[in-house]
Amino acid sequence: MATLLQQLINGLVLGAAIALIALGYTMVYGIIQLINFAHGEVFMVGGFASLATYSYVLPDSWKSDWYLALPLMAVGGALVAVVLAVIMERFAYRPLRNAPRLAPLITALGVSVVLKEAVRLWYPGATAPVPYPRAFVDKQFSVEAFGGRITIGSTALLMIAVSLIGAVVLQTYISRSRMGRAMRATAQDPDTARLMGVNPNRTIVLTFAIGAALAGIAGVLYGIHYTNVDTEVGFLYGIFAFTAAVLGGVGSIKGAVIGGFAIGLIKSLAGQYLPGGTSYDLVWIFILLIVVLVFRPQGLFGEPERVRA
Amino acid sequence: MTATPVLSASNVSMVFGGLTALSEVSLQLHEGQILGLIGPNGAGKTTFFNCLTGLYTPTRGTVTLRGRTLPSDPAAVTVAGIARTFQNIRLFPSMTALENVMVGRHSRMKQGPLASLFHGPAYRKGEADARARSLELLDFVGLTGLDDELARNLPYGDQRRLEIARALATDPAVLLLDEPTAGMNPQETEAARQLIFAIRETGVAVVVIEHDTKFIFSLCDHVSVLVQGQLLVEGAPEVVRGDPRVIEAYLGKPPDEVEAEVRQYAEEAGRPSAAESTMVIPPVRERDGGSEGGNR
Amino acid sequence: MSQLKDVLKPGLARPLAVGGGVLAVIAALLPWVTYKFAQYGGDNYPAAASLQFFDAPFQLEGYRLHTLILGVVVVVVALAPVPARHRVLRALGWGLVAVGVINTVFAAVEGGGLGAVTAADGAIAFGGFACVVAGVLAILAGIAGGIEHVHVWRAKVATPVAYLVLLVSFVVLLLLVAMMLNAGGQGGVGNPYAGPIFLSLLGFLAGALGALHGVGLTGWISKLSDQHKVFSVAVLVLCALALPFTEAGTDYWMTTAANIGIYAATAIGLNIVVGLAGLLDLGYVAFLGIGAFVAANFSGAAAAAFGVELPFVLAAIIAAVVAGIFGAIVGSPTLRVRGDYLAIVTLAFGEIFKKAAQNNIGGLTGGANAIPNVPPINWFGQSFDKSLTIGSLELPSGVLYYVLIIVLVALVMVVFANLKNARIGRAWIAIREDEDAARAMGIKTGQAKILAFLIGATLAGLAGAVFAHKTSTVAYDSFQFIESVTLLAAVILGGMGSIPGAVLGAALLLVLPEKLREFSDYRLMLFGLALILIMRFRPQGLVPDRHRRAELADEGAEGVPIEELNVHDTPGGSTAVAR
Repeated sequence: MATLLQQLINGLVLGAAIALIALGYTMVYGIIQLINFAHGEVFMVGGFASLATYSYVLPDSWKSDWYLALPLMAVGGALVAVVLAVIMERFAYRPLRNAPRLAPLITALGVSVVLKEAVRLWYPGATAPVPYPRAFVDKQFSVEAFGGRITIGSTALLMIAVSLIGAVVLQTYISRSRMGRAMRATAQDPDTARLMGVNPNRTIVLTFAIGAALAGIAGVLYGIHYTNVDTEVGFLYGIFAFTAAVLGGVGSIKGAVIGGFAIGLIKSLAGQYLPGGTSYDLVWIFILLIVVLVFRPQGLFGEPERVRA
Repeated sequence: MTATPVLSASNVSMVFGGLTALSEVSLQLHEGQILGLIGPNGAGKTTFFNCLTGLYTPTRGTVTLRGRTLPSDPAAVTVAGIARTFQNIRLFPSMTALENVMVGRHSRMKQGPLASLFHGPAYRKGEADARARSLELLDFVGLTGLDDELARNLPYGDQRRLEIARALATDPAVLLLDEPTAGMNPQETEAARQLIFAIRETGVAVVVIEHDTKFIFSLCDHVSVLVQGQLLVEGAPEVVRGDPRVIEAYLGKPPDEVEAEVRQYAEEAGRPSAAESTMVIPPVRERDGGSEGGNR
Repeated sequence: MSQLKDVLKPGLARPLAVGGGVLAVIAALLPWVTYKFAQYGGDNYPAAASLQFFDAPFQLEGYRLHTLILGVVVVVVALAPVPARHRVLRALGWGLVAVGVINTVFAAVEGGGLGAVTAADGAIAFGGFACVVAGVLAILAGIAGGIEHVHVWRAKVATPVAYLVLLVSFVVLLLLVAMMLNAGGQGGVGNPYAGPIFLSLLGFLAGALGALHGVGLTGWISKLSDQHKVFSVAVLVLCALALPFTEAGTDYWMTTAANIGIYAATAIGLNIVVGLAGLLDLGYVAFLGIGAFVAANFSGAAAAAFGVELPFVLAAIIAAVVAGIFGAIVGSPTLRVRGDYLAIVTLAFGEIFKKAAQNNIGGLTGGANAIPNVPPINWFGQSFDKSLTIGSLELPSGVLYYVLIIVLVALVMVVFANLKNARIGRAWIAIREDEDAARAMGIKTGQAKILAFLIGATLAGLAGAVFAHKTSTVAYDSFQFIESVTLLAAVILGGMGSIPGAVLGAALLLVLPEKLREFSDYRLMLFGLALILIMRFRPQGLVPDRHRRAELADEGAEGVPIEELNVHDTPGGSTAVAR
């Protein structure tokens, strides 16, 4: 029982990270129907950028104070992620906006490879997992219950809190603000939106930027929770997040968050209880991905895709 | 006219969610007939068309081709003998004109993957036959000598012709034309009319959806008018043309106010030379129109 | 571009071209670097005054000869009546730029900065810069004169003459390939010059080929080979088989060429799925893996799951069939899933394969231990990894694998070409262009798409069987996502739907890393960049499909619209033709 609870907690934490990344996937797909394959790598770059902020930018005296270091690391990670996403959108995806749909997907693949390789080659020591500083926000809370010990760390709580708050803020922004309306309009029909005075390019860049910022923040949270970051996580978490976005229904904020938590829980529980254990936990997620895409491509919360006339 | 119709729709209804797009529409197409289907936007013409091509399975009612119920798969419908063109031309743009038509021969060729792989004598004969028939069809629609052009490099009018040739290549009993003259100038429209007459001569029955009522009245043997998912009027063109309900449905005014005006159009309709004053309902895409298939 | 066009009056074309050509000739005779290369007897890069480069076109000095040739040709083209003159000038110009940039950059990096290519220690060297400027002048001349369409030769020739022309062209091609492979030797720490020599030669040849293409020669030859298909294929295969007898007939290049062949065969299989049917498969390398594991398990290797040793041909057939069955399974979601979602499904299948293989599923894959010591193929007592002696001639080891793989590639090419020009091939292309319209033509699209996956996977399985024996160790990590991306890059780089393209793409992607060993870390990054740049600037690839080539002939200097990857999800589909 205690094991189950512990696995549930682990799953929620993992799910929180996935949810933050999935938000970016779902927003970008919602607005320009692009599977931004490189989004997982943006998350990975965010993790490295915040680590770089810590290692190379922050003065030593600030490093021990989490309330100084952590926000600045988050800002560093998010900033680099946003700049990257904007460059990516402008130079790789925008020229292909009217191209057949496979062209941007292949480009996204290329961008993803380039980002991963760039970090692997040029970040000092990134050919292996790079350790994160851990001392400054590592507090474990544990209780004895159900015949075992259940532990949750401060970083885990932070991760869950940030992803939930992020999703709520994002949902409010999209449904209430002027830019949010512009986003929804562009997603519905870019040409008409343009006629109504919405600048689709600016809206799309903004969508990329918001998604990237969330992914960058996810990067730093991932780093401090799992205490390291490596170049492989981008691809893996990109797939997780994409699965989450599809599971929840592409284009739906709520769906991305619930999908994210669901994937986290499935991975964690499958690793514990299904045959094959952690060796096969990814396989279950991939099977889930295939099943969802084949049988319910609109996801759990999406509407069946209406044909746009 | 023979007694048994080639194509027969009886009491076809189509309901999307709670919305009734078609209710109890019946229609019969006889051997050697050209049937026109007209109606204002949103009348359900395209929905009905999709029921005839197997894209939709009617909620109620049946469509039969020579007495047999239509299968609910577009490919099978084509094999059964109904060919179609598309409202917004949908050729295979980077194939040549000839290859486009040869794709139309697909379902009439007996060439399995193994024959394709080994290019034996049966393959060569099949290819030669398909090629000959396709070239013949290109000649028939007036695209002689353009067989090696890429479809996307053809002018607009020729693309429409090519689409018809491609549809004819499936050896259909019935040809469905979805707005064949959309975007055409008067000369091209007249050429299209002659082409459709020529197609009828070859023994293929034709159904035409059009907004251009003048074109329909000067072309068809039989005209059906759909309004709000229901069959409002049907009959010979001259009968339908004068029906006050049709005029009201089209113009939304009491008939007497516009009667004179319409009569003038109707008269001109008989004379192709007065082409400028065509009564055209602008082709705005319908709710369910344009993008057949859906993401299933 | 348009502003540039306003400044460049057509009248400027000839003076610009002559100037560029003369400058190139001067550049060829100038020193290019200020420092001394020990390997070349302490001379400058190379000796400034010696003209020894004339007899060594494929050595380090070769670039001077190439520059000289390009320069002279530019002048001749500018003054003589040449068809498609400005297109030719532009191609030659790009060749000059490539040669200049590659050698200058290499010398600057190697020699430690700009001083190495400008002036330092009392020595001056502006050859590289002059060469680049000359190239730019030639390109500008081309643009000023207005880029013409590719010239088309309508000359009809008698069959014997056509045979002769084809024979000569293919033999020239063979010699060029052999010399290119050998140019500068193989890369690595021992020979840092292999990379620049190879790249520079590539740049020169690209320029020259571009010029020949503009004049219409390559188009004419490819038309001839279309007319005499059987003859060309036979000669091409013979030429490929003759490679071991040339300079490139070393153990090293036999092995490399065999690797290229395996990837090329696999890439052609992928080309059926992606290029013809328009279905993006991101997990394709799994089928190569399945084929390899099946063959390994039937090879009698110690770690094999089955204790039987089947003859290679039988094992290869089983491998192909098993891979084909998996192909059909992976393809079956196409019945319901389209476009980019389908790509993700294939990716998921690929990852499932990798995970399963990594965990030694069913004891079939050896997991992290792999299946080592797969014995080499052995026919008639001749082991395929040993060298072969015919009479007094000793051929390098691995030559038999090379021959086997040439046969495999030829087989796969025939399969591809035959299917493409048949009912099923047209159905695939129709599905790629517009799936709904294809269905309306009576094509059972679901069946056709699954068949594409099945055939593609079968071919990959066959290649996998050869792979297992040739590399002797089959490990799951040879079949990762990045390998699928590499194969995809080969297909796209070469040109989707085109066979020469897939071979060329695979060759470039595998030869370049061999030549540029010291840059091997950057291999994947270059793949990624290549994908981005090709999608942006040349989506039709280097050797586009015949139809697309016809289309390209109408293009001027500007980029080509992307209509090649014509796979739309439903809502976008209706706009496919509207352009």
